[in-house]
This record gives sequence, C-alpha cells and structure tokens, in this order.
Amino acid sequence: MRRPAFPFPLTAALPLPIQLVWLIPVYGFSGVLLSLPWATGWFKRNGPRPAAYLNLLVTLLAFAHGSLVTLEIWERGAQHLSFNWFSAADLHLAIGFDLSLTNLAALELITLLSLLAQFFALGYLDKDWSLARFYALVGFFEGALSGLVLSSNLFISYFLLEMLTLSTYLLVGFWYAQPLVVTAARDAFLTKRVGDVLLLMGVVALSALAGSMEFTDLYSWAAHAQDASLGTARLSPLAGSLIGLGLIAGPMGKCAQFPMHLWLDEAMEGPNPASILRNSVVVTSGALVLLKLMPLLRLSPMATIALLVVGTISAIAGALVALAQVDLKRAFSYSTTSYLGLVFIAIALQQPAVALLLLLSHGLAKALLFMSVGSVIATTSCQDLTELGGLGNRMPATTVAFLVAGAGLVGLLPLGCYWCFGLGVQAIWQLHPLFAGVILLTNLLTALNLTRVFRSVFLGSAMPKTKRAPEVNWLMALPMVSLTVLVLVTPFLMATINPVPGIGAFSLPVGLCVAGSGLLGVGIGSQISLDRFWSRSILQPLRGLQDLLALDFYTEKIYRSTIVAFVAGLAQFTNAIDRQVVNGVVNGIGRLSLQSAENLKLSVSGQLQSYVLTVVIAIVVLLSSLTWIVAEVVR
Amino acid sequence: MTSSVGMAFPWLSLLLAIPFLGTFALLLWPGEPSPGRLRGITIAILAAQLVASLALLLVFDPQLSGMQLEEIHSWVPSIGLNYQLGVDGLSLPLVLINAALTLVAAVCTRDFSKRPRIYFSMLLLISGAVNGAFLAENLLLFFLFYELELIPLWLLISIWGGTERAYAATKFLIFTAVSGMLILGAFLGLALFTGTVDFSLTPISSDRLAMGSQIVLLSALLVGFGIKLPLVPFHTWLPDAHTQASTPVSVLLAGVLLKLGTYGILRFGMGLFPEAWAQLAPGLAIWAAISVVYGSLAAIAQRDMKRMVAYSSVGHMGYVLLAGAAATPVALLGAEFQMVSHGLISALLFLLVGTVYRKTGTRDLDVLRGLLNPERGLPFTGTLMILGVMASAGMPGMVGFIAEFLVFRGSLLAYPIATLLCMVGSGLTAVYFLLLVNRVFFGRLAITPASDNPVEDARLDIQLAPVAPRETLPALALALGVLALGLFPAFLGHWSEATTTAMAELPGLVASLPGGGLG
Amino acid sequence: MPVISADLTRQGGMPTAAELERRLLAGETLLAETSDHVLEVVGVLESYGEVLDAYSRNLIYQAEQQFLNPFPVFKFFDGDLSPARIWRHLNHDRINFEYAEYCMKSMLWHGTGGLDAYLDSQAFADCCGGIIQIKTRQDLLLALLNPLFRQFLPELIRTAATTHALGQFWRVMSDLFIDLAAAERDGRVATIAQVVDVLKQGLVAAAAQPITYAVTVGQQTFWVLPPEAGLTFLADVAVPYVEAVFLRGMPFLGTVSFNAQAQQISPDQGQFAYGALFADPLPSMGAGIPPSLLMQDMYRHLPAALHDWYLQRSRGEGDVRVKICASFQKAMFCVTNAAIAGTFAYPLGSSDPEAEAANQTYARAWASRLALARTDCLRAAS
Repeated sequence: MRRPAFPFPLTAALPLPIQLVWLIPVYGFSGVLLSLPWATGWFKRNGPRPAAYLNLLVTLLAFAHGSLVTLEIWERGAQHLSFNWFSAADLHLAIGFDLSLTNLAALELITLLSLLAQFFALGYLDKDWSLARFYALVGFFEGALSGLVLSSNLFISYFLLEMLTLSTYLLVGFWYAQPLVVTAARDAFLTKRVGDVLLLMGVVALSALAGSMEFTDLYSWAAHAQDASLGTARLSPLAGSLIGLGLIAGPMGKCAQFPMHLWLDEAMEGPNPASILRNSVVVTSGALVLLKLMPLLRLSPMATIALLVVGTISAIAGALVALAQVDLKRAFSYSTTSYLGLVFIAIALQQPAVALLLLLSHGLAKALLFMSVGSVIATTSCQDLTELGGLGNRMPATTVAFLVAGAGLVGLLPLGCYWCFGLGVQAIWQLHPLFAGVILLTNLLTALNLTRVFRSVFLGSAMPKTKRAPEVNWLMALPMVSLTVLVLVTPFLMATINPVPGIGAFSLPVGLCVAGSGLLGVGIGSQISLDRFWSRSILQPLRGLQDLLALDFYTEKIYRSTIVAFVAGLAQFTNAIDRQVVNGVVNGIGRLSLQSAENLKLSVSGQLQSYVLTVVIAIVVLLSSLTWIVAEVVR
Repeated sequence: MTSSVGMAFPWLSLLLAIPFLGTFALLLWPGEPSPGRLRGITIAILAAQLVASLALLLVFDPQLSGMQLEEIHSWVPSIGLNYQLGVDGLSLPLVLINAALTLVAAVCTRDFSKRPRIYFSMLLLISGAVNGAFLAENLLLFFLFYELELIPLWLLISIWGGTERAYAATKFLIFTAVSGMLILGAFLGLALFTGTVDFSLTPISSDRLAMGSQIVLLSALLVGFGIKLPLVPFHTWLPDAHTQASTPVSVLLAGVLLKLGTYGILRFGMGLFPEAWAQLAPGLAIWAAISVVYGSLAAIAQRDMKRMVAYSSVGHMGYVLLAGAAATPVALLGAEFQMVSHGLISALLFLLVGTVYRKTGTRDLDVLRGLLNPERGLPFTGTLMILGVMASAGMPGMVGFIAEFLVFRGSLLAYPIATLLCMVGSGLTAVYFLLLVNRVFFGRLAITPASDNPVEDARLDIQLAPVAPRETLPALALALGVLALGLFPAFLGHWSEATTTAMAELPGLVASLPGGGLG
Repeated sequence: MPVISADLTRQGGMPTAAELERRLLAGETLLAETSDHVLEVVGVLESYGEVLDAYSRNLIYQAEQQFLNPFPVFKFFDGDLSPARIWRHLNHDRINFEYAEYCMKSMLWHGTGGLDAYLDSQAFADCCGGIIQIKTRQDLLLALLNPLFRQFLPELIRTAATTHALGQFWRVMSDLFIDLAAAERDGRVATIAQVVDVLKQGLVAAAAQPITYAVTVGQQTFWVLPPEAGLTFLADVAVPYVEAVFLRGMPFLGTVSFNAQAQQISPDQGQFAYGALFADPLPSMGAGIPPSLLMQDMYRHLPAALHDWYLQRSRGEGDVRVKICASFQKAMFCVTNAAIAGTFAYPLGSSDPEAEAANQTYARAWASRLALARTDCLRAAS
C-alpha cells in the first residue's frame, strides 16, 4: 500500500538542520497561515500589525535555519534530500532539495532581502490597513522562492514557478481598487502564464521522454538523447529544439526578457516593498532555474541562439527604454530587464560563475536602489522625475543609499558589478567580442541613466513637491542603511563564494575598458540638459525616437493589436459560430420537428384509411431498411 | 480479478437504498412539514449517504483492480437485466463526489418558494440514480439508472429555474433523451451481434465482432456519451441548462451529471470496445483538442458569469477524452483525477457565482465591479472565487494542476499535437477567468454599467446584503478540499491507480497504440 | 431576481455652487437640518474628539521628548513603558498614531500659511543653527553628516515644529468637540445650526491663541517657534490644516496611480482634490487608504447611541466603518461651515454694500471650491 511518505528521510547521519531543511519553504507558507486571522478581519477591534511582526519572526527563522544549513554544508559538502510525493505507474514525483553552496547562497540572499523588505514595509505601508494581506502574500512569495532555489527536480521548480506567478498577480493587485492596478495585475499574470504554459510543455515532454525529473538524471539523459546509436528512439532535432525553446520560455517570462518584459513595467503599480523583492530576488530565481536548465539546452542549439538574441535585445533595448522613462520606478525596472539580459548572455555562453556573481551583486544593489526610490516616494508622494529635485541636501540616508546602489550596479567603482563585468568581458571577448561589447554598452547606458536620475532627483533646486522633504522614519532608514553596508561589502562576499580564480581574475586593459565605459556614461549623464530631455523634440526623427523609447518600443500597442486582438477575435468568432451555427442547427431541428408536428397535425383529416395507409407505409419502410442493414452487417 | 465479498454486507445496495428510501420518505412524509424541516431531513439523509460512501473506503481494497463488493441477483433474466452492482477504482471516487456534492446542493438551497417537497425528493432521486449508474455492472441496469435521472432533472430545471427555463429544460431533455437512445441502441446492438442474452458487464466482450460493426457501435456510444460529456458540437444544451438552473441544480449538473458521460465513455466505450477504441483513438484525440480549445475560446466571449463557467466545463471535460484516447496508465489516472477535480472546482465556482447573483441581482460582467470591497462588498466570496479560478486554470497546489499534469504527461507521447493544443486550452482558461475576476471583483464597488464619467461612478453608494458565515461554509469546505487534494494527491490516486493501470492494459488497446512519437 | 433593485444603488444630488453660496451668505447650514444628521455629527465628533485627544498628546510628546531621536522605537508610548502597554502596542490594540503623523506630513508637505512661512525665515534658521551646533558636538555621525547635507537637520526640526503645532491645534479641537458632545447631552444643542454655531464660537474664541514651541537640547532651551513670531491658532495653523487635510489632501496609493506616464496626479499641489471633503467613503478599510486608520480609531471610541443607530442600517456591524466615514464627512462639512462663518470679514446681512460685496466674494470663492466636493452627503435623506 503506497502511502504519502512522511517528510523524515531515513539517513540518520545528517545533522538536524539539514534533515529539517524542508521547513525552510514551509516557514514562508506558514507566514500566510499566521496572517490569515488578521487578513480576514477576524480581530475587528485590533489592527493588522501583529501579522507583520509574526511574518518578520518567521522570516528571521528561515534566515537563521538557512545559515545553519549553509554552515553544515560548508563542512560536509553538497547534500541531496528527496521526499516522495506522488507515484503512479512510471511517474514518480518527488520533492527534492539540492543543498549546494550556490543554492544556499541564493537562499540566504532571498531570506535576507525578504527580511529587509518586510522591515522596510513596516515603515512604507504603516498607513495601510490591509497590511496583514500584504505580509501574507510576501510570505507566500518567500516560501515559493526558497523552495525554488533549493529544488532538485524540474517538476518542483515548475510547481513553485507557477505559484510565483500567482503571488505576483496577487501582490501587484494588492491595491485592487486602483484602476491601473487592475490591468497591471492581469497583464503580469497573463504574460508570465504564457511563459509558464510553454515551460509546462517542455516539462511534460521531458517527463514523458526521460522518465525521471531530477536535474542530475535529466543531464545524463540529455547527454545521450541524440546519439545516433539509439536509432529510432533518438530524439529528433525538431523535438529537441521545441523542448529547448519551451524550457527557456518560463525563465524568459519570469526575468522580464524581451518580448515578455512589459509586465515588469506594469508591475511597478504594486507597493514598493514588493517591487524591491520583484526586481531583486524574483528575477534572480528565474535566472537560477535557467542556470539549472543550462546543461539541457545542448539538446537544442536553437535555444542557445534564442537566449543570446533575447538577452542582447533585452540588455540594450531595456537600457535605452530606461533612459526615456519619467517615472522613477520604471526607470529602474527596465534596467532590471537589461541586467537580466546580460545574465542570459552569460548563461548562453557557458559562463555560470559570471552569471551567478552578476545575479548576486545586481540583486543586492537593485534592492537598495528600490529602497531609496521608495523612500523618495514616501516622502514626496511623487514618482515623476519632472516634479522632483533638490533632495540631495536633505535626505542623507536616501542619497547615500542611491549613490552606493548606483556604484554597485555600474562598473566604475570597485563594487559588485565592476568585478562581474570584468570577469565577463575577460571570459568572452576573444571568442565573442560582440557580446563583450554588449556588456560594455549596457554598462555605459546604465551609468547614464543612473546619473540623469540622480541629477534630476537629488541635485538642483527644490521643486514645490520636494520643498519639505525630511528624511524617512527609522523603520525605512534602518534597512536601507543596513543594505548600504551590505552592498559596500559585496566584493568580499563575492570573493568568498568564488575563491578560485578569484574575482579579480581579469587583465588591466579589460578593467580599464569597463571603468572607461562607466565613466563615459556618467560623463554623458552629467552633461545632457535635463529639461530638453523631458520636452518632446520638435525635430521629427528625434521625437519619433523619444516616443519609441518612452512607450517601450510600442510593445503594449503591438501586444494589443496582435495577440490580444487575435485571441479576442477568435473568441468572438467561436461564440458566433456557437450561437448561430451550432445552436442554430439545434434550434432548427427543434423548429423543424415542431413544424412537421404542426403539419402532421394539419394532416389529421379524421379519416381512418389515411392513418392506416400511413402506418402501413411507415412499417414497410422501417422493416425494409432494418433488413437491409442487418444484411449488410452479416455480410 | 474480482472479489466476491458481496455476500457479507450489501454496502452498495445501501448506497442505493438510502437515497431511494429517502425519496419515498419525503414524498410520503405526513402532515405539512415546513420547507426548513424538509431541508433538514434531506440533509440528514444525504449525510447518511456520505457516511456510507466514506465507509466504503474502509472495505475497499485499493490493490485489486477489478470490481469489488459485488452483489449479483437476477432480476429479469429474460431480457438479461440483472441486479448487478460493483465498485472499482474508477467509480469509487465518483460515488464519493456524488454524495458530497448532493449534500452541498441541499445545504445551499435557499429558495423554498415552490413545492419544496418535490424539490428535495427529486434531489434524492437523482442522487440515488447517479449512484446506481456508477455502480451498475449490467448494461441495461446502467441504462435504467441513466434514464431515471432524466425526468427529475428536467423537473428541477423547469420548475426552479430562471426566466427561460422552459427552453433550457426542454433542450436538456431532448439532448439527454437522444443520448440515452443512442446508448441503448449501442448496447442492444452489441448484444444482438454477439448473440448474448446477458447484459452483464464482465462476460460481454466485442472481440468476436468485425471491426466495422465495432466502430459503428462505438460511434453510437461516443455520440451518446459525448452529448453528456459534453463534447463539441453536442454541447449547446449545457450553457443554457446551467444558466437557467438554480445554483444547487447547477452544482449537481456540473459536478456530478457530467461525470456520467466521462464514466460511460471510459467504462463502456473503452472498456467494451478496446480494439475499435484503439482504431478511433487518433480521431478522438483531435476531437478532444477541438472541444477544449472551442470551449475555452467561447468562454472568453461570454458576458454572463454562469455561462462562462459552463463553457469552461465544456473545455475541461475534453481532457478526459484526450486521456482516454491515449489510454496509458498515467493518462487514465489523470482522467480520474480530472473527473474529481472538475467536480469539486466547478461546484465551487457555481456556488460562488450563485452567491454573487443572490446578493447583487445580476451576473453580467459589464455591470458588476469592485466586489472585493472589504466593508460593503463580498470580500470572502471574492477570495474564494480567486482561489477557484486559479484552481480551474491549473495552478499548482490545487487538484486541477495534478489532474491536468497527469493527463498531459500520459498523452504527450501518444498524441503530441492534440496534447499541446489542450495545453493551450488550459492556458486560455486563465485568460477568461482572469477577465472575470478583474472585472467583477477588482476596482471600485459598483453595480451599474460603467459610465463615461469616472467621477460619477465614484459617487455611487452601494448597499448589499451581508453574507452570513453559514452561507460561505459549503464553498469554503469545497475550497479546502481542492487545496487538500492538490497538496496530497496520493490520497486520491491511491484508490484509483490499480484500476486505471488495468484498464490501460486491456487486450486490444495496448497493441494498437501508436508507439513512436517523440521517442 | 433578475432586476437590480433600486435601493441597492443610490446616487446623491449635488447642490450647485450658487446654492452653496446662497446658504453661506444667508447664514444657513450647508448640511440639511434633520435629527439623524444631528445624531451623526455630534456622535462622530465626540468620538473624533477622544481620538484627537490621544493624537494631540502623542504628537506633543513626540515633539518634546523624542526630538531628533534617530531610533524613536517607543514614540507611540507617551513615555509609559509598562508591559501591559507594550503588549497592547504589539497586538495593535491601540490608537493609530500613524494617521496623526500622516496629517502632520500632509500639512508640512503642502506648506501653506504662516507657520510654513516662518519655517523658511531667518529667525528659524538661526534657532536651528544653535540646536545643530550642540547636537553635532554630542553625536559624531551628525557631525559628519551635517556639512554634507546642510538641510538634513533643519528639515527634521521643521517636522518637529509642525508636529507640535498640530498637537496644539488638535488640543483645542478635541476640547471643542468634547464640549459640543456635552452640550448636546445637556440639551443646549439640538439642531445642526446650533452645532455649527457652537463650533464657530469655539474657533473664534481660540483664534488668537498663540502657538509656541520650545525644546531642550543638552542643557539649553531653544525657542523653535518663539512667541515673538506671533503665530496664532486660526490664521497660521487652522487655515493651513483645513487647506492641507480637508481640501487638498494627499493622493491615496490605493485609488490613484502614481505612474508618471499616466499623469493621474496633478503637478500643481493647489489643484489637489483628495482631502476629507472630497474623498470617497466607500473604499474605506481597503488597501492603501490612510483614513481607514482614523475610521478604526473612531470605531473604537464610538458613543453607544450612534453605534445603535448604525446597527440598524445597511449591514449593521459589517460596514460600520464606511458609515462612520460618511458621517465624518458630514461632520467635516459642519466644521468647515463653522470656519467659513467665523472668518467672514464683515457680519452677514449687513446693509453696507462694500461689506456685502466682500462677503459675497469670500462666499463665492468657498462655494466654487466646495461645489466639486462630495456635497451629495449634504442632503436630508441619510
């Protein structure tokens, strides 16, 4: 009798923190359950803050537990745990945990940033009555993310990726009474769902073909699936390509890569603490899934090419569109798309170390950047760059945070991304100089963007909406300052993760190139005239370019006129067929029968002979046709 | 392999006796009991039925794949109609679903204005008939119970339905009657051509028949059960019946009655004609894909919430046909899961739509807005609705996902194109349900069509009646069931796995399946 | 039931600007005269008065005892750190002082009136300089930050000044509202006209009350808002408060998009229409609606008579906070009414044509602003 297995593996030799590692995602989900009484309004006379405190506690527990596990794994080496979930015939679905240092580092990043973002939310959302619901959703987010980075098989990765899609929908739709949020949440969910359905196709195919869904088993299967020696059981190139494309579609949606990038823009309608998490850890986890799928992509060279194309377009286009944004949050969400494009390029070019380091430094720096943005929004109730200015001499924590985050993102000063870009350029410039150029160009554009935003928000004279801008309260300032310190020590964190060959393993010319591109970006950014930047140019081509960038290459309009119109049109067509044709036939038959009944009624002449004649004719016809049918069958 | 534990205690007859005796008891109850009293009696009887169904779990042996707890008594041997009952992994979950959802339907009945006695007795009669259909081991007995539920349902729709109930009820009657005739024709044909007099399920087999006649009979069965499933183009009775029926009747229709079609197709279509089934399987897979995509696309264009959920039923039942066409063990287990999952989820959705209709008086998507408003709206109903639509869209963590995953996983290698199309259909489910949630629950509370002037919309003062906790309890119970089965699917798979594996290994089925595919 | 019943949706009729102007000039109340309205307004103002009492005490405590404290973890405790108090704080069984801070921030940000003008003056800057000198000697971090971020500490001092001024304002208003409730219980007040009259008398009586604020840093006392500045209750605090909280307000994250490309928020703060008189009561207690905190506080201090009145209507206890919000809006119209009536330049109904013209201009300006507000709550049918 197969029972669902209890979550206690048999290996008694492992220490308790590792044996209980399945608790780590459960902490996040338990945050949801703990918040329920306050979220449903059960305590009518009291407020929702206890839910926030409980969630903070539970996240702290997750961080502590993760740290203990990391320490154990550091000593023992990587471990693998598996719990049987569901088995049927040849299908075995298990919940697996792959405890490697990479995954655990990502886990620590997630829990730490979740902790800081939740603390930040205590200050940012302190006037929000639905605080309990927010924390429940963030707990859900965190649980799904922790499970995702630790997962050892494709099924659980897909499972949690979809749950992330759901929680993104609910978090972006947090302020559901706001009209733009309604469309934003819908678009976020549907875009990611498209990616997820394509991923599901790949997952189902792999499950059916390879049997097991553990990543290690899939790697060995993929290595031999296209061997000529397998004969007809060989995986056809077409199937391999389709599977490869399906597999990358999910991470593409999750990391907001072109063409599935619009949702991140719209998702900025959600609360800022959620944006902090979304731009740092959610995209990181999507990229981590892609990293785990990387060995499978050898099935399909087309998938690798697709990754390169998508990554390059996202990197450059994202950085360009970010330049044209007047909304503070969107100026940086496009930059997230851009950096994840670089990560995709690194993954496609078989540079997992560079990709991981970039994810780490980007995650930390972007989170800090969004915290400082949130602080600005909370103080000035304004997100519009044209209406902000002169905050620099009034908000020290915010300004310093912005500067440090910018330094962490741009390859100019020796903080996080400088070393990543250096390593990246060093690794690929000989074989793929084009992509090295893409990295440098992205660096330049990002530096430009950061400089222009810094100038318009923090420098200059005070505008009416920033005339009175005191520094934010301690609940927002404390996590911001902590994260500032963390971004400053990122190089040391990176060095511990990547001791060999070390983060400085690139030549001086490469380092100078990176620093030079950053310097050039800062230089251009500090010189361009800000007001002319905002106003729409009279010169036609320039105005066209401004509109193109500001409206994100008209992606939304393209979506609306192609996919949306296609599906809606098809739906209306189907509905019309249903009503007129199918239903029409049915009603027609009904009318016909009624009509013939009416006619028959009219034919009731009252004469017996006509009835008898009708009956006899009917019987003869029936019998002869029956006889004919039976004869046919018997023959 | 069968076990004859039947002589020990007639569990299955008990499952028939409780509702049927309950029907007579209600009809003959002395005096003029109040509607509330009648409802209480019905709930008590249905609770007893649920307990008896749960008790089945204790005596059922999940390791055995064949019929268990059989009861065989001859009834009318001259025409081959014998009283033969048996349960296996295919029918056991359906019996449980029947008991649970009929109880939910009875609990959710709130409109006592017209003839409550007949209403509740018809409810019990349908429950008993459905139980009989699921448990029957004799073809004619199955047909008898299949037809038995026809008139009570027609009565339920035509008396307690909406404004156009007469049209919808008559349409339902005609479609289902035709379906019954086709099924009977196929059964009679089978008996005639094989030359048997006994309609018992086990001995009958079609392998002596020529392929042509097998295909003819199977087609008749397919169309007959396809009307019930429903499959496009025989589905048009469903949206009308659901829209006009009252909420409890919709719950029964979607949750239980549609399963008669899927059960019939698998038990009698695939079970009796495995070789013909294997021949027709590619066509069936395509048909299933068309039905799924058609249902999903039509749902997107709907403006009435109930119609939208009805079309989603059309879409979701197609997965069962796809799984049947592929006929691998995993796919058939997925079919069983999908039947249970769809029963629970569509019942949940109909309950919630019914609550919205009761409180606001409309189901129009263009009129309702902002019902998640915490003080004046329906926040709890809205939350459960979001959970329900996500479950229907196949969100992991809920039973819909595991059902769809099993179906797709089992069918992909056999029919890749059809499976991929069905996955697209599954993705489209998210589209229309998200539209529903977005329009009806998000935004500022309003129950009039949106005007051109948003300032005017913001000045509307809406006052809806409150939703008492006991009104949401059934929906909450169903939601918890959906979540529980989604997180612990082994609990459901445990009972059905032996049977579905055995079904996939029917002689004649295995040999004819296309093997190559992707490798 | 296929038809949407008419009583499920209601839409109010709004009086025109001309009608509002007529009422103001004639000395009539803006709010229709019914006994239900009296019950609502007086009841809500009584609970509001109790809440404002707590707010004002806390704001004054914050300005005086938590001055320039970088980690004011216990700022809501009013100095009482007993375990029972801490538990109630953690369990959120307390007044939502965050809303008081929100009102203060709104006043500070809009920056209208005499108080704001003083905060930009040289005298204030000198006072700040003095405080900063002592603070930078005490704290190394501030000594580092001050030269780089010159306006950092002055901005925080401005915040403290506004906090204290608002605390003093609310002290007066709280006493006034509680007195009003007492008067209604004694029977001295039975109509809306009398309510408005009592409020007007109270405002006029406190009009010239001085607003001052001194703070002790190190061993010295600094006059942040000295008596010499001549800041008075009505002109320098009450009027900016009405402007910032009743009229302009701040856009709610829960109902308005801050997206710069959508341009839903006006760049001109003077055009804002998000204040208490303009806000939509129906989304109360939803996400992103700060006044929900106030509604919850008032709910906890609701007088029994008003609570019973609410229980008989619409969803009873289920939507009581939306009902409180609607009553609160009516009450705020009364307070505004009283403020307008008390600040006419000349007595109403005077025969002097110049006085009449001045009054008319004044009334017209107010009426045109109020005509866009939620005047549909002024009708007789509640």
